[in-house]
Amino acid sequence: MSELHAPSMAMLQTVADDPVTYANNWKTAHQRPVVGSFPMNFPVELVHAAGALPVIIQESRTPITEGRSLLAEFYCGYTRSVADQAAIGELDVFDAFAAADHCVQLLGAVDAIRYTRPEKPVHFAQFTSAMDDAWTKPRVDGRIAELRSQIETVTGTAVETDTLSASIKAFNRNRQLLRHFYELRRSGRARITASEMQLLVKSSMVMDIDQHTAALQTILAELPVHDEAPDDVVRLHISGHFCHAPRPEILDVIEESGAIVVDDDLYTGFRYISTDVPESQDPLAALSSWYLERNVKAPCPTRVTSEVDWDTYLLDSIAASGASGVLVLMAKFCEPHMLYYPELRKALESHGIPSLLIETEHEGIPVEKLRTQMETFVERIRRHVTTVAV
Amino acid sequence: MQTELFQKDKTNKLSSTRVGGKMTADYWENIFTAKERGKHVVWYNGAAMNPLFQAAGLEWCHGEAFAARLAAQHLEEPAQAAGAEYGYIGELCSYARTHLGCAVLTQQSRTESETGVVGLLDQKELAAKLPAPDFFVNGYAGCSTGQQWDAMTYRVFDRKLPVFNVSLPMLWGNKPDAGYMRGEEWVEVSDYAEGQLRELITFLEHQTGRPFDWDVLSESMSFIKRASELRLEAMQLCTHAPTPATYWDWVASIAPINFLPGNQALVDYFAGVKAEIEQRLRDGVSAVKDERYRVYFDGIMNWNKLGFLTRKFAEYDVSVVAGRYTHESFWQEPQLIDVDNPLRGMAQHYLLCPLNHGLKNLQELLLRRLDEYAIDGIAFHSTRTCRAMTNPQTMLAKTAERERGVKSFFFEGDVADASFYNDELFDSRLEAMLEAIDVQRTKSLV
Ligand code: SF4
Ligand code: SF4
Repeated sequence: MSELHAPSMAMLQTVADDPVTYANNWKTAHQRPVVGSFPMNFPVELVHAAGALPVIIQESRTPITEGRSLLAEFYCGYTRSVADQAAIGELDVFDAFAAADHCVQLLGAVDAIRYTRPEKPVHFAQFTSAMDDAWTKPRVDGRIAELRSQIETVTGTAVETDTLSASIKAFNRNRQLLRHFYELRRSGRARITASEMQLLVKSSMVMDIDQHTAALQTILAELPVHDEAPDDVVRLHISGHFCHAPRPEILDVIEESGAIVVDDDLYTGFRYISTDVPESQDPLAALSSWYLERNVKAPCPTRVTSEVDWDTYLLDSIAASGASGVLVLMAKFCEPHMLYYPELRKALESHGIPSLLIETEHEGIPVEKLRTQMETFVERIRRHVTTVAV
Repeated sequence: MQTELFQKDKTNKLSSTRVGGKMTADYWENIFTAKERGKHVVWYNGAAMNPLFQAAGLEWCHGEAFAARLAAQHLEEPAQAAGAEYGYIGELCSYARTHLGCAVLTQQSRTESETGVVGLLDQKELAAKLPAPDFFVNGYAGCSTGQQWDAMTYRVFDRKLPVFNVSLPMLWGNKPDAGYMRGEEWVEVSDYAEGQLRELITFLEHQTGRPFDWDVLSESMSFIKRASELRLEAMQLCTHAPTPATYWDWVASIAPINFLPGNQALVDYFAGVKAEIEQRLRDGVSAVKDERYRVYFDGIMNWNKLGFLTRKFAEYDVSVVAGRYTHESFWQEPQLIDVDNPLRGMAQHYLLCPLNHGLKNLQELLLRRLDEYAIDGIAFHSTRTCRAMTNPQTMLAKTAERERGVKSFFFEGDVADASFYNDELFDSRLEAMLEAIDVQRTKSLV
């Protein structure tokens, strides 16, 4: 039984399940444009400051149909779904699209939008993904300036410095609240399931930010905070799964197997809200600082850097949350994840932390098989913890 | 259409490309002894940065080239097995996982020799023969996998060796004036990439402890420029039907133009290729007996199946005359190179990788080649683990059909993993395309 304020959660669920309808309604109510963007590093504040609704396009649950003739079956579910949504007209609500990331599969999907919807502006502000170089920041500054002018063109509204600062504050406030939920969950004193946490984050990606913040405040005010964390539960960290949110039923099966999720580094999770945009700088410069700082706070496997490591970050997170095992969720065909996975495995093995890799597919995965795998995994962790304790 | 496969070999490959094969084999033999000769070794991926390494007095190992070589020799398995054991999943770019497998083996053999452990398994030796790198340079255009691959190699080598990343922005082609080698975007990213090459040179000087030799760079680029001109002139002769040389001959010439040192031998090699083609034209000799169809190849080669596919297309009277990988890469715009001041032209070539264009530019390039070579059909190698190559393929197929009525077919395979190739699908789909072309021809006669 959920302990989170039911009416607010129901409202967020409706938005997260059907972002397109939400965007349509918002558009009708505000008579303002809606701009679609893509994971994982898009500065949504710029769109907000132009008076438009920024929406991070989500994987749709519907089976891929038309999209099959655009991208091959060996693409990650997210990109295939984006191409499909574009082809069947699902994305027509958006007045423009903008991307900042250059995962090769994502670019294929964005090109599919250009191909199927030639009349829509599709801007690519390529943020340099090698993070350690002297020229990275100036280059990203340049791309952000360009992005601003593109957004101004499509929205017909100039992005003023003050407005942008206000937008940055609004999104920071939202991220801070979400991080507060994370802290409560980590402490074990608030019962927030993995699928509920996902819902909180996912809805923030598609919804008017102030409306979302208000909902979070209501939920927080109503949230029972217990005096003590439950014992005898296996505490898990969920890692990976980039551009698309893992299906809630997968998250539910994980927790039905006798474990609770205490932390994650999922994109539709902690990765998304890990970092605030600095409020003390010029707001445009602050957006590129955010991009660089984000990779330090929660190192991103799609970035190239020698200074920080996802594996080290993962070990630190586990130490902080007291998780005793890691579930790696990998979206099938996600190359950045496939490339990085051996390093994670090595790090976890060398620290004696049990881990399990589960590959997910757009078409879904057999839940019963997952249940068995999870039960075995939880049992393995219990034995491991007992052994360590002895 | 019924065809008995390989009853007789209808191909007539250029004999001059054998010289290139020998030059390439010698090059690798030389690399394998780099450490014994006290040389600094750089591992690099992506763009042809080798002239910079040549001028810095380095020995250079190109990751994809080594993976392709292993696959072409059917020797990729030990490296791939080592990669799989380390945790690389089979759907990952097979160049990357072959080369990362080599990195694992190289690293292991280094550790083993340092610790005095002897007795490497024989099968490991070939891959482990690669000299361990002193540092890495990555200059991957278009494909994010390429960049991450080196980030992981860095980790396989215990995060100790320096890495230099050249960030090459994609030619997205969105601005109204954008197009192949034109528009504001082109000028702007050319400046950006050129600036990074200057930084790279400072990095190389630091790594080698020697001043960079600009004269050597100019000289090697002058040879490369000349070699490139000869290569393009020779390619141009293949617009003639029946073609005197095929795409497969150009594939055989990739290694020389892509990573062999810029010197007189390189120029002589391409002069030899061109002379042979001219001779064939004079003698009326064609590359495929009974050429009936002229096909364009889109995809990176399936290195495991090179000879097999060469014979197979010919068996169907198909001349594969040009391709995206061979014709849109490898110093293909030599007029951009100013030999006295070559960095800009080099940077521009790195940007012109055929995997670095948005769809609009690729459509422009494809249509140009279809017209130039009087193409009847397109073979799309659905290169399983290379999304950079496959990204635009279905859309390019539709463009070709819509704009020029050119038919196409898709077949599965991969750059360096033979398991993805499906022979039955290949035959039935190629046959279907050829039938469609025949129907089209009959109609146009009516
Ligand atoms: S990062 Fe992974 S999930 Fe995201 S677009 Fe790339 S392949 Fe797909
Ligand atoms: S996916 Fe393709 S372009 Fe990318 S690194 Fe691999 S072979 Fe190169």
